[in-house]
Amino acid sequence: MARRRPRDARAAATRAWRPAGAALAAILGAASPARANPPDTFGFGSRETAMGGAVAAETRGFAASYYNPAALARSRGLEIGVGYFRAEHSLEMNGRDNGVDPVKGMNAGLVAPGKILGLPFAFGVAVHLPDDRVSRVRALRQEQPRWELYDNRNQRLFLAANLAIEPTPWLWIGGGLSFMSSTRGRLDISGGANVFRPDDSRLRHEVDADLTAVRYPQAGVRVALGERVALAAVYRGEFQLALDLTAHLFGDVSGLTTALYELHTRSVNNFLPQQAVLGGSWAVTDRLKTTFDATWIQWSAYVAPVAKLDAVLEIPPPPSGWPSTVTPPTTPAPTRIEPLKMYDRVVPRLGLEWHALGDRAARGYLRGGYELAKSPIAAQSGLTNYVDRDRHTFSLGVGGAFDDVLPELPGTLTIDAHLQLSRLSTGTTLKASAADYVGDYTAGGSIVNVGLTAGFAFGEERGQGAKAAAR
Amino acid sequence: MRWIGRLFGLGLVAACATTGAAGEGDQNLPSAGVGPFRRLEPEEVKGVAPFVLDDARALYREPAVLRDGDSTLLYAVARAGDDDVIVRTRALDERTFFGTSGHFGRSPATVLAPDAAWEGALSGPALLRFRGELWLFYAGREGIGVARSPDGLTFRKEPGPVLPRDPAPGSWEPAAPRAPSVYALPDGRLRMFYAAGGAIGEAESADGITWSRLGGGPVLAPAPAPAPGSLLPNEKPPFDTASVGDPCVVTRTTPAGRLHVRVLYTGADASGATAVGFAARYGEAGPLSRQPVPVYSVGQREAAPALLDLGDRSYLYVQQERRDGDASFVAIAGAFAPANVRLPASGDFPDTP
Repeated sequence: MARRRPRDARAAATRAWRPAGAALAAILGAASPARANPPDTFGFGSRETAMGGAVAAETRGFAASYYNPAALARSRGLEIGVGYFRAEHSLEMNGRDNGVDPVKGMNAGLVAPGKILGLPFAFGVAVHLPDDRVSRVRALRQEQPRWELYDNRNQRLFLAANLAIEPTPWLWIGGGLSFMSSTRGRLDISGGANVFRPDDSRLRHEVDADLTAVRYPQAGVRVALGERVALAAVYRGEFQLALDLTAHLFGDVSGLTTALYELHTRSVNNFLPQQAVLGGSWAVTDRLKTTFDATWIQWSAYVAPVAKLDAVLEIPPPPSGWPSTVTPPTTPAPTRIEPLKMYDRVVPRLGLEWHALGDRAARGYLRGGYELAKSPIAAQSGLTNYVDRDRHTFSLGVGGAFDDVLPELPGTLTIDAHLQLSRLSTGTTLKASAADYVGDYTAGGSIVNVGLTAGFAFGEERGQGAKAAAR
Repeated sequence: MRWIGRLFGLGLVAACATTGAAGEGDQNLPSAGVGPFRRLEPEEVKGVAPFVLDDARALYREPAVLRDGDSTLLYAVARAGDDDVIVRTRALDERTFFGTSGHFGRSPATVLAPDAAWEGALSGPALLRFRGELWLFYAGREGIGVARSPDGLTFRKEPGPVLPRDPAPGSWEPAAPRAPSVYALPDGRLRMFYAAGGAIGEAESADGITWSRLGGGPVLAPAPAPAPGSLLPNEKPPFDTASVGDPCVVTRTTPAGRLHVRVLYTGADASGATAVGFAARYGEAGPLSRQPVPVYSVGQREAAPALLDLGDRSYLYVQQERRDGDASFVAIAGAFAPANVRLPASGDFPDTP
């Protein structure tokens, strides 16, 4: 009770925060529907990944921008972090590797804390920057087998910005936005094509492409129930990355006829379902902490990444009719899109952190975690082949925290490493129709994710890191 | 602060250590082994793509294939004088067949010619290894016959048709059976798909000589016409509403352990346009389910499919119209699946057929 602020101070602080709260509500309200992140699958930050991602009530530092924005306000000094991870897929169908691309890249972020009218406040940004590509667009035929949750949707940038406050010593509240861009494009080609001498063709090209910002919200709250127990709730919004392409081709064909081809394709290339997380942490002893998260994911709202195609093709026959050796093309038939049935899922996660070594200037930690992600995709007995399997994920990690490594640089250096092993249980997909082009198949595999994260918390007092972790 | 800058720089270097590779994730995808197929490309065949066996006088057609070690044996109907005979050729790369038009001075070996009154012109060869011999089923005027060979070149015919016209009153078969295709069940019994009229029927035999028809009707009939208003704009009606024929059956066991009876066939619509379709069933009995999309459709009177399933890849051989200026003749074309895989350049001709 001695740490509580006077009532009038709290009232003043509340009044001061109203504009900020209104601003936060405004940006959350303006967010477009959005959802599908590499951190959902592979974690964000080595400490959190090693603990199975069960950290909604336990995260801190830049990783809080993903796991629980409210926890940003746990930081007392400027914190930066940078890390790298590589997740290698060994996913097979019929016992043969499908070559699913690895997900790899840098995770980084910072937390800038401060105080406004006496209340702890923090601003945080976090980014996952992939090695190979900022974002990948892929629209496959719905019949083509693909690892729906691993093949394409994790190949993208993740960028989040959040605000958090600590209005009372036992309450943290935060929220913000994540960003992506969707693609619109138009291609115009006009002119004349000489089918007898292609080099003499005269064609004009015009390209108009537009990357439109997509925003989706996240928000969280953390409540400390005494010194050893904390609870948390987190919400992450839905997000859809749309791909909208239009092509217009018109011209003269060797003076014989004209050709018009209009193509419009629309698809949702990446979809992240909205999620709600309930989490808790319990410091069983001064050195052992357990954590638990349950994440509800609204997979039932998933939009399959199949392109809806509208095409118009007009090539009138020449006055003399088509030569006998020429078969004019016809307008492509539209695609009958089969709906993808998915089920909402609750993903349980467990984590452990053992303060194994040291007490003051240097401390060592061992961590472990487990996650069970039951596949949300309905049995693929029909035309489509969105392949997925139940995923059991075990994770391990080590970490060290070192205070005041350099005399001229007061603060705490942390270095954490993680190893995450996911096993996708092998199962058989039976096709209802014997005339299916793909037929029955088995699918399963594993994913190995390794990474390293380094962070620095400026100006924290000696041992503050350990105290903060307990807080 | 310098070392923090260095650390950040190191992270950036690590992040930039690799550059954007082409996306994958589509390797070794499962397939029923029946396409869809693409035509062979010019660099994949010796002659005019996609043709693998052509001659304006021999008019090769109605292919049948069989794997023989590293070789692919192809039997086909050919014109020889006034007769239609069955010839054999061979390739070492599934594409470069002995005696095609570009293999000057060579021609496939004739292995079967009509010499019995019931035969007339020979057609529809089909191959089966059975009891240590190569069995060649074929069609004549009055039904389906069989010849046996120890080496695939010299055949000994059965004296009469093993599956003649159906004598049963009210039979669904309006004409003599033709275009046989035979496979063996796991217990050793033989099954034959054959065409009669515009549909496909099935028969069974224990010894390959005595056959009995199964069921009271065809296992595959022409597709019904679509209900009015059921098609989307520009959507085409089924390609096989007028007739189905030329069955080519190849079985496999699926990864789930099910017997998968796969049948490629020629489908035709009311305009006479043809395409190659795929129908199948699980297990040894019952009608065939059809795939609504053709496995091969090029608008060149493609017909009489023959499938060579090599596990991770498949070849389709069909008779197809080869256009040469204003003239055209029938020849045997090749197609391949998976369609996104490119084949190496064609190999050498074999020394013998």
